[in-house]
Amino acid sequence: MINRFLRHIKEGFYGVGRHSAMSVSSASAVTITLLLISIFLVVTSNLEKITSKIENSVKISVIVSYDFEAQEDLDRIDSQIKNIAGVKLVTFSDKEMEFDFYINSFPEEERVIFEPYRSENPMHHAFYVEVNEGSMLQEIASKISAIEGVEKTNYGGESSTMLVNALATTRQGGFILVIALSLLAIYLVQNTIKLTIFARSNEIWIMRNVGAKNGYIRAPFVVEGIIIGMLGAIIPILTTIFAYIYLYNKLGGKLLSGIFVLIPPHPFVLYISCILLAVGIGVGFIGSFFSVTKYLRWKR
Amino acid sequence: MIELKDAVKAYKNGVKALNGVNLTIHQGEFVYIIGPTGSGKSTLIKLLDGEEIPSKGSVIVAGINVGKLKHSKVPIYRRNIGVVFQDYRLLERKTVFENIAYALEVIDAPKNIIRRRVREVMNLVGLDDKGNAFPSELSGGQQQRVAIARAIANKPKVLIADEPTGNLDPTKSDEIMVLLEKINREENTTILMVTHDEALVNKHQKRTIVLESGVIVADTFQGGYFKHD
Ligand SMILES: Nc1ncnc2c1ncn2[C@@H]1O[C@H](COP(=O)(O)OP(=O)(O)OP(=O)(O)O)[C@@H](O)[C@H]1O
Ligand SMILES: [Mg+2]
Repeated sequence: MINRFLRHIKEGFYGVGRHSAMSVSSASAVTITLLLISIFLVVTSNLEKITSKIENSVKISVIVSYDFEAQEDLDRIDSQIKNIAGVKLVTFSDKEMEFDFYINSFPEEERVIFEPYRSENPMHHAFYVEVNEGSMLQEIASKISAIEGVEKTNYGGESSTMLVNALATTRQGGFILVIALSLLAIYLVQNTIKLTIFARSNEIWIMRNVGAKNGYIRAPFVVEGIIIGMLGAIIPILTTIFAYIYLYNKLGGKLLSGIFVLIPPHPFVLYISCILLAVGIGVGFIGSFFSVTKYLRWKR
Repeated sequence: MIELKDAVKAYKNGVKALNGVNLTIHQGEFVYIIGPTGSGKSTLIKLLDGEEIPSKGSVIVAGINVGKLKHSKVPIYRRNIGVVFQDYRLLERKTVFENIAYALEVIDAPKNIIRRRVREVMNLVGLDDKGNAFPSELSGGQQQRVAIARAIANKPKVLIADEPTGNLDPTKSDEIMVLLEKINREENTTILMVTHDEALVNKHQKRTIVLESGVIVADTFQGGYFKHD
């Protein structure tokens, strides 16, 4: 069993060596694919972190209608909000606090002009609601709006919605690009393996004639494909590790002077590296598997 | 052991290589298949080893309906039969011993059994001392012996050979015939042999099936032709 396993591995390496030029060219296709996948992952992960941070810092402000200012109404609204799934924290702010908050947004010398209004305070009581998931803002806000006594709800959703949309677009575009490139890499690996198959068609014929199962015949070629995939992953992995660490240090871990914080390199680059290796292996595996299967089907 | 019923083989290009073949061969028989070029002999072999599927009719070998086999089951079926061709198709990178052992390795036979059986068949084909030689160091006749040894290594019930002596001179051909007869006798292997070599057929007389344009025109025992329409 072990012997047989080693034999397949050995044959796989022979195959890579036999068509070194083709192996290198399809490994470079894998390399390019993986480099793009790496950029894509780094960009979207960071964007994702930034948007989720923004989303999570956004609160829903709940304005209480003038007709529901009695304590029991406020208590009821408070508990109804707390009962909504996804609500993290509810803080109450009465109309006096709201008034102070409002006038404090003006320069000190102008504030006096508002003081006469304090006795007939036009502000509403308000609740501030923090949610667990930024993506649930909209849903929770509309649930709160439906509560009796809630005049309206606000959340600074516009900017975060834009970011979320930008992220989704980037993700979709990148995803399509990555899929297309992966298919191309699979195709190139498939062609390289095809050469090996033809070079060894005599041996395959013999194997089939002495009763080797398809899996046994397939194994060394699949190993070869996986080796090509792994070779193709080396440069992208090293590039990702060094380039990201370099950029992170260079930027001091921040973008736009500290508004956005980047994901720390450790263990982020390791995750990315593992994904790249897995995709490389996957591409090599699929390409070679297809190639042999096609050949075997054709031969019977 | 082997039974063809109304077997028809039409290739994709429209050529009807076999046109309704009925044939029964029993366990332990030694049968020649002769006929002019293009008469369908190799096609018959391909139906038997599962390489081709009959367009009509059935091909049954050792109780298995070969044409109905799933693709993935063909290799398992092939363990029942050994195949030998005019070109020996040996692995140049491997020694004689390794070439023969290969047939047992791919079916996961245990190492000690492989070693014993390979020595046994090397002795049977008369190549005891050539285990470490590479195919390129052997004569054509010796290479064909290796191919035969490989074909019978896992004790198949049937050995089919498509012009096994096609590349050999008469003396070497005769030696291969003697070897095949020995295998037929000692291992009780059913043997089906396609040949063009009339001298051979006359010297080692056996049941002979004559194909012409994809149909059996004669099926004789002990040499003399027996025509049927
Ligand atoms: N794979 C194929 N595709 C199409 N036609 C084929 C194929 N193989 C054989 N044929 C045709 O089928 C007919 C029978 O061929 P086959 O090889 O069985 O003849 P044969 O008796 O073995 O001839 P030979 O003595 O020359 O080896 C021929 O006309 C041949 O051209
Ligand atoms: Mg032929």
